[in-house]
Amino acid sequence: MLWLKGWLETRFRLLFMLIFTAPLLFVMHSAGAHATASSVSGRVAGLVSHVIPFFIVFTCAFLAGAGIATQTSFQASKGLHGSALFTLSMPVRRLRLLAVRAGIGWLETSAVIGVLCCEMWLEIPMQRAGVTPIEMFEQAATLIACSSAIYFLSVLLGTMLDDQWRVRGTVLASVGIWVLCTQPSLPAFADIAHGVGERSPIVAHTIPWNVMAFSLGLSAILFFVALKIAQRREY
Amino acid sequence: MTDFAIETHQLCKSFKDQPALRGLDLHVPAGSIFGFLGRNGAGKTTTIKTLMGLLRADTGSAHVFGVPVTDADSAAGVRRRIGFVTEDKELYPYMTVEQIIRFTRPFFPNWRRDLEQRYLEMFELPKARKIPDLSKGMRSKLMLLLAIARGAELLILDEPTDGLDPAATEDVLRELVSITGSSGITIFFSSHQLSEVELIADHVGIVDQGRMVVSGCLDDLKARYQRVHVVLESGEGPPVRWPEGAESIRQEGRVVSILCSHNADAVVEQAQSIPGATVERFPVTLKEIFLEHARSN
Repeated sequence: MLWLKGWLETRFRLLFMLIFTAPLLFVMHSAGAHATASSVSGRVAGLVSHVIPFFIVFTCAFLAGAGIATQTSFQASKGLHGSALFTLSMPVRRLRLLAVRAGIGWLETSAVIGVLCCEMWLEIPMQRAGVTPIEMFEQAATLIACSSAIYFLSVLLGTMLDDQWRVRGTVLASVGIWVLCTQPSLPAFADIAHGVGERSPIVAHTIPWNVMAFSLGLSAILFFVALKIAQRREY
Repeated sequence: MTDFAIETHQLCKSFKDQPALRGLDLHVPAGSIFGFLGRNGAGKTTTIKTLMGLLRADTGSAHVFGVPVTDADSAAGVRRRIGFVTEDKELYPYMTVEQIIRFTRPFFPNWRRDLEQRYLEMFELPKARKIPDLSKGMRSKLMLLLAIARGAELLILDEPTDGLDPAATEDVLRELVSITGSSGITIFFSSHQLSEVELIADHVGIVDQGRMVVSGCLDDLKARYQRVHVVLESGEGPPVRWPEGAESIRQEGRVVSILCSHNADAVVEQAQSIPGATVERFPVTLKEIFLEHARSN
């Protein structure tokens, strides 16, 4: 039944993020409608490189849980500490509590990314001509894999910080990652920011397997650290 | 099989160098109703949270049903046997009464649907109402329902009647006694309401500054603790060296009031040896015992 708790905590957040794709849809539609054949790839690349990473960071920060603590169904709050005591009185290990909540948020983040990719394909006619559904599916898989590191970073912050600070921390850390990814000395496999942007399948026409693997590996480490903190934390 | 549902030995816990528990020894007999008393900040909630695995003790040991609870995860199995009411009575704000019951039920294989129905009716809990729309008293009742219907062998209740009106308090206390009698479960509850504790508890523990200062069977304590009044012939009595057990000695005019924690017979004997003194002994209430320890510390 932990999934029910997670779903009730996140359903309005998920709905908000799905609605939030509408302005993006408008931008994409405009880009597609006014694009000429020569400029379309440049416009799509710009859109993918700048708008989508911002949207993904926001989605991750919004849907990642507050660790074991209870979240309100919509707005960021200072943590509902008291009801966390009720949760922890259940005969459930903290691993399961954290994993179920993080898993639900990750699935919802993936769903939002999936919907976004569908909209991109449907709303940009000229892109539809140049990109096959399989490439769009690859794009979605790449975005999900590469965004996982940001998502689990937010999960990790949720085990230490109040919800409000977790969101701020996730955005700040994402800016830090973005800056780090602009450094030429950074190995290509660690370039997550460009994995969701310029190196993503619909722009580079190749799947960045190494970046995806790095991001998923990093996600696993971040989740492990989050779990250790949740297990050590006192309430 | 241990005779104690809860046992702690030299339990210590500090928060930023501020000691909350200083070697707490607690023994709660299985099947008892144990009233856990103490002033604000005495260490009651810290003890309860440690028993529930929400806090980790710095040193010492804590066992529930013989299982160490010092590691939260290893104690997950024990929590299946425990019903818990938190101090602040907070539950998930996005759930209704019915949803939180449906949510809690599957975690407990011994869930008592009969008790669930009984308390839903008795407490007049509106199933469709969201938890934030419930009064504090209603939330207390809902938490009690969620704790009792678990089919637990041990109820750990932190201020269970907080927010309840006198009639509801009476109902809850009667139910607690009733389920202990019928199911043989152990109830460990903290309260500031000494009259409540005296009404239903058969064992009490008084904690002060993180240490257990009084603990035992309530009837034994009442038999052991006695107040001795000595009325002197004149205001100034001869200097008396009272025997061990004379806990607090106060004189107002010609009357010397002595609270004995034990050895009352020897104190009376000593008082009777004062020329011209009249000696009387009285039983004491739990409140007197509590206040005496609260003041002396």
